[in-house]
Amino acid sequence: MKTSRRFQLLDIFYIIMMILPLAIGMVIQILTKPLSEGITLTGARIFFTIPMPLQDFYITESQINSLLVTVTILFFCLYMVHGLNERVQLKRQHFAELIVQSVDKLVVENMGEYFKGYAPFIIAMLALSAFSSLSSLIGLFPPTSDINVVGGWAILVFILITYYKMKCGPLYYLKSFTEPIALLAPINFLSEFATPISMSFRHYGNILSGTVISTLLAVGLSGLSSMILGWLPGVLGNISWLRVGIPAVLSIYFDVFSGCLQAFIFAMLTMMNVSGAFPMDEYFERKQKKQAKKQLA
Amino acid sequence: MQTLPIISVNIWDMLYALLNLLILFLLVKKFLYKPVKKMLANRQATIDNEYKNAEDAKEKALSDQKLYEEKLSHAEEEADSLIQSAVLSARSRESQILAEAKDQANGILRQAEANAQLELKKAEQTIREEIVSVGTVMAGKLLEREVNTDDHQKMIDSFLNNIGE
Repeated sequence: MKTSRRFQLLDIFYIIMMILPLAIGMVIQILTKPLSEGITLTGARIFFTIPMPLQDFYITESQINSLLVTVTILFFCLYMVHGLNERVQLKRQHFAELIVQSVDKLVVENMGEYFKGYAPFIIAMLALSAFSSLSSLIGLFPPTSDINVVGGWAILVFILITYYKMKCGPLYYLKSFTEPIALLAPINFLSEFATPISMSFRHYGNILSGTVISTLLAVGLSGLSSMILGWLPGVLGNISWLRVGIPAVLSIYFDVFSGCLQAFIFAMLTMMNVSGAFPMDEYFERKQKKQAKKQLA
Repeated sequence: MQTLPIISVNIWDMLYALLNLLILFLLVKKFLYKPVKKMLANRQATIDNEYKNAEDAKEKALSDQKLYEEKLSHAEEEADSLIQSAVLSARSRESQILAEAKDQANGILRQAEANAQLELKKAEQTIREEIVSVGTVMAGKLLEREVNTDDHQKMIDSFLNNIGE
């Protein structure tokens, strides 16, 4: 397809804006990471602290990186939608259609027609989670390996779940705790909070475990390398040769596969929990009754 | 540089992540989901429209075809009947003309015959008169006497009648 000069320029702008945040993240990483640190396992590094009530608000790597990832996703979306046409003329349009239609289908299959509007939310969740996890591929601190980030998402899901449980009124919500028998009320109450916690810990733990194993492997391979190849003269002996290539193989599982899988699982659990929390039959029954009453009055 | 411990719970960081997800949701909805959905709906509408147009056109073509076929068969019938009636009228005209011609021919023949008869009679009359006069003169000369013309006339007439018979 022949495109105008303006179209091409805008395309280039979008691509630059897609790559720029990641490049900025890498530059920040290079500028702020102390060289002498060696191989250690720590949480996100704090750039600065904003004093807030209750707790200080730490601006850490995960906050910066998730912001950068968000900007990347935004421009990726803009790039895909750029030049959208009823008669397909650009390849990227197929990709955009694929994403939208497959997520639409997934949402309708798992949540039902009533929750059709959740498709963009699920797209955003999948994209943010997957891109955050995959950002470790270019050496950034993956925001998903910070419990606060995933916890924030889980709290949002918890709010949604509670909102749908409350749809039939607070009394119905409170009554639902005493089922099947009133004795189980404390356990039901606990399980309510177990959902977001288990969701966030699953995601965060999987990504962090990848980082931990990568670090352990790096330490182990360094030691092994200096043991086996330490006799090489000069600088050659100091280079840990075994760390070349071998971690990459494991990284395919721990970073790429696990990252995408956890994003999918998190989205799936969100769909299941939100749609499962909504007592649909009861809600429509009440609605009908209300309408009947209105008509009578 | 200071780092967070591996597990540390910070409500503001959580709130930040929550808002981040919400904002991304709105952005994705506005910049990816809505345009693609709109485009898909437009495409569906276009396709439906095209299909409808095609079907309409096909229906119209079929009905037109039927109409034309009907008209065509009617035309053939009409042509047949026209030819037949023309042939019939031509035939009747032909016989009429023939009869007229025959009549005329007969009339002419009869006229001619009558004329001829008339001429014949006239000629007979003249010849008879001539003969009478000639005979009278000759008889006068022969007998050397006056012959009564009237007697003579009767005689010759009977004679000629005998001859003419």
